[in-house]
Amino acid sequence: MNCQEWEERIALYAAGDAAPREGAEIERHVAECQGCQVFWSGMKQSLVWLREAHREEIAPAHYAVVRARVMAELERGRARWWRRVWVYGLAAVVLAAVMAVVRPHAAAPPVRTTQAVVAKPADAGQGAGSRPGGLPHDRVGRRKRLPHAKAETILVKLETDNPDVVIYWIAERRGD
Amino acid sequence: MNVLALLAMAAPVESPDNGARAIAAANAGDLAAFESLMRQNERLVLVTALRLLGKLEDAQDASQEVFLRLYRNLGKIDAVENVPGWLYRVTVNVCHDMARRRPASVAVDDMPELADTGADPQQSATQAERRRALAMSLRFLSEKERAAMVLRDLEGLSTGEVARALGSSEATVRSQISKARIKVRVFMERYFRSHL
Repeated sequence: MNCQEWEERIALYAAGDAAPREGAEIERHVAECQGCQVFWSGMKQSLVWLREAHREEIAPAHYAVVRARVMAELERGRARWWRRVWVYGLAAVVLAAVMAVVRPHAAAPPVRTTQAVVAKPADAGQGAGSRPGGLPHDRVGRRKRLPHAKAETILVKLETDNPDVVIYWIAERRGD
Repeated sequence: MNVLALLAMAAPVESPDNGARAIAAANAGDLAAFESLMRQNERLVLVTALRLLGKLEDAQDASQEVFLRLYRNLGKIDAVENVPGWLYRVTVNVCHDMARRRPASVAVDDMPELADTGADPQQSATQAERRRALAMSLRFLSEKERAAMVLRDLEGLSTGEVARALGSSEATVRSQISKARIKVRVFMERYFRSHL
């Protein structure tokens, strides 16, 4: 075993980290090796200095700074939690109120659609004779229509049960 | 009534029961109980963080993070005896994370402001110089070596406790401690040979 390997063992032994049997071996070697004696004394000295330096206490004010910061952060977290409770609570109350108002409308009967021809912009006088039911046939027939067939525009008004919703449908009718 | 009985009445009793009660109270949201728990462990956290990071401001930031984590994890700590071990482990982890995020600095002028011990100025100057050298020597160790040395040689933990805190085996910790001690010794020898 060379001195470098002994140094690793001495470094452990210097602070009591070597097994007792190993300790006796190390002491025997150190007694015989001058280089390891120097290393051994230097190691003990540096460990003493290290511990001495550690014995110095940090000023209490520095601990107080940490404590104050942590407590402030926890207080802020608690305030945020309460704010969230208030916001979500208020939102739940508002939602319940909205549901209570909207519910009667939700129970209303289904929307019915009515359909009526209300005008014929091209020839208002013939509006009364128009049939809304004829429109799909007219659409199919549009492809077959004769070039000379006369176009007729009709306006269809779709009324729903909701007074706010009225649908106007402008269609074209050709021929008879 | 004898003197011992009087002393027992005067001194705050820090029994495991009291500690467990403090943890339970803090876990239930009692901030005063948590502050008391923090006072009991603040030296352990701040000093360890300072040795690992080398700068007081960084060590204070790390300590703050460690205690906030403690508050969030109080429910997971089942016995008061486990608090110091938990704190050492989390302090080392937080300091390692912080050291990776922040550029490493060998700022030997940033020595911590230590409590005035009223010592002789000449002696204080020598000790300050030695502290400076030791702080510098710790900067030259690897992250794991520094943590192992700080916990074993400065905090006085056993190699088993250090291994648990670092999540390593005892054999690995012994190897890290050995290398760290050799490096510090060599650094100190060279430093004082060139400065004195």
